[in-house]
Amino acid sequence: MNKERYNRQIMLQGFGMPAQMRLTGSAVLVIGAGGLGCPALQYLAAAGIGTIGIVDDDVVSLSNLHRQVLFTTEDIGKLKVEIAAKRLQQMNPEISINTYAVKIDKSNVIDILNYYDVILDGTDNFAARYLINDACALLHKPLIFAAVSGCEGQLAVFNVPDNQNESTNYRDIFPVQPKEGEIPNCAENGILGVLPGVIGTIAATEVIKFITKTGTPLINKLRHYNILSGEQYEINISPANHYTLPKTATELSNMEYEDSCKVSQNYIEIDAKELKSLQNQPSTLVIDVRERHEFPKLNDPFITQAPMSELEELLNQNITQEKIVFICQHGIRSLSAAEAFHEKYGNTKKIYSLKGGIVKWRNHF
Amino acid sequence: MEIQLISFGKISEFMESQKMEIPDMSNTDELKTYLEQCFPKLVGMKYKLALNKNMVQTSQELKNNDTIAIMPPFSGG
Repeated sequence: MNKERYNRQIMLQGFGMPAQMRLTGSAVLVIGAGGLGCPALQYLAAAGIGTIGIVDDDVVSLSNLHRQVLFTTEDIGKLKVEIAAKRLQQMNPEISINTYAVKIDKSNVIDILNYYDVILDGTDNFAARYLINDACALLHKPLIFAAVSGCEGQLAVFNVPDNQNESTNYRDIFPVQPKEGEIPNCAENGILGVLPGVIGTIAATEVIKFITKTGTPLINKLRHYNILSGEQYEINISPANHYTLPKTATELSNMEYEDSCKVSQNYIEIDAKELKSLQNQPSTLVIDVRERHEFPKLNDPFITQAPMSELEELLNQNITQEKIVFICQHGIRSLSAAEAFHEKYGNTKKIYSLKGGIVKWRNHF
Repeated sequence: MEIQLISFGKISEFMESQKMEIPDMSNTDELKTYLEQCFPKLVGMKYKLALNKNMVQTSQELKNNDTIAIMPPFSGG
């Protein structure tokens, strides 16, 4: 190890060589090389974490660049893990980087996590977050949880016992995985680019604090951070005891993480051409489930407005049409609506969802 | 009685953080029912309450001037 590289943190009182050696000897896995993953990876690599694993199956796109600061315009279309590994290795050639260009799922999660001492969850969906939580709880791996929404972030450290030897996990806060579309993600909701930068950097700080045994770790606390007001709010988490975690790898593989509506095709995903053709058929009801403030407004008298937040009312009415088509901004909330209506009407009606949403088919409206 | 309500994420879009005058009630379960009546968007949504910065796992006694935080799960990355 080149001590000169880490000199400014080694000289820090309470840190020193022992802490630096702990960083060098540790292996940290960052799942998701996105808005949270990029800044976290930069600081973990710079700080000298000996081995860093990166999991992400996605490629760089233009709309990533305002917050995913490891990537440049030239990287568009390339695998995030490959670009990230290259940049980090340039920053710090002394560390080892393992890349996993896969989507984390039930079949690979145990094998990938097993090798690492600390896991940082910077994914962007509940399916991955619940899977990672359950796998970390099963393997007793410290999990640094970081998530963002709009202008706010949530942070926690799970599976690390406190002074009373009590540890908690994500299911102690939210025992049941929300359905897809129930809570909007970045693509649906928008996000200020600097927010995951701040939250991802705090997450990296928690990793470094935990490994070096420095400071007060965020154990059994959920911290909210609002980037606009600058306010933080910390809540004590206590064990909930009314949920079941998988206790073995087999039990984990039997859990359902992907939204059930994706697995069982209770409705049909269509493109704009099929939508047009359906609109010309009799007995078809097209419903826009976006909230009233969303743009672009569709000035089509044959499209009914029924925002997700008011969908309950529509569910209570009796729809006479045989075919119901749901549309929304990106085709995610419309899946939830399709699922809810399938639950009510079963196979007595044909239910459709516009794949990719209005954004994808903007020219067709 | 009066409570201080602190809301987060999507919930703060329809339920602002505020001092709130509520009918007298004895516990957080009753408060949940009351809040869901006042803010119907909460119904069917996943959220968690914290009473005076402690997460509510089972119904807790509610007192005048208590602080209630209400938060949804975040998934963004």
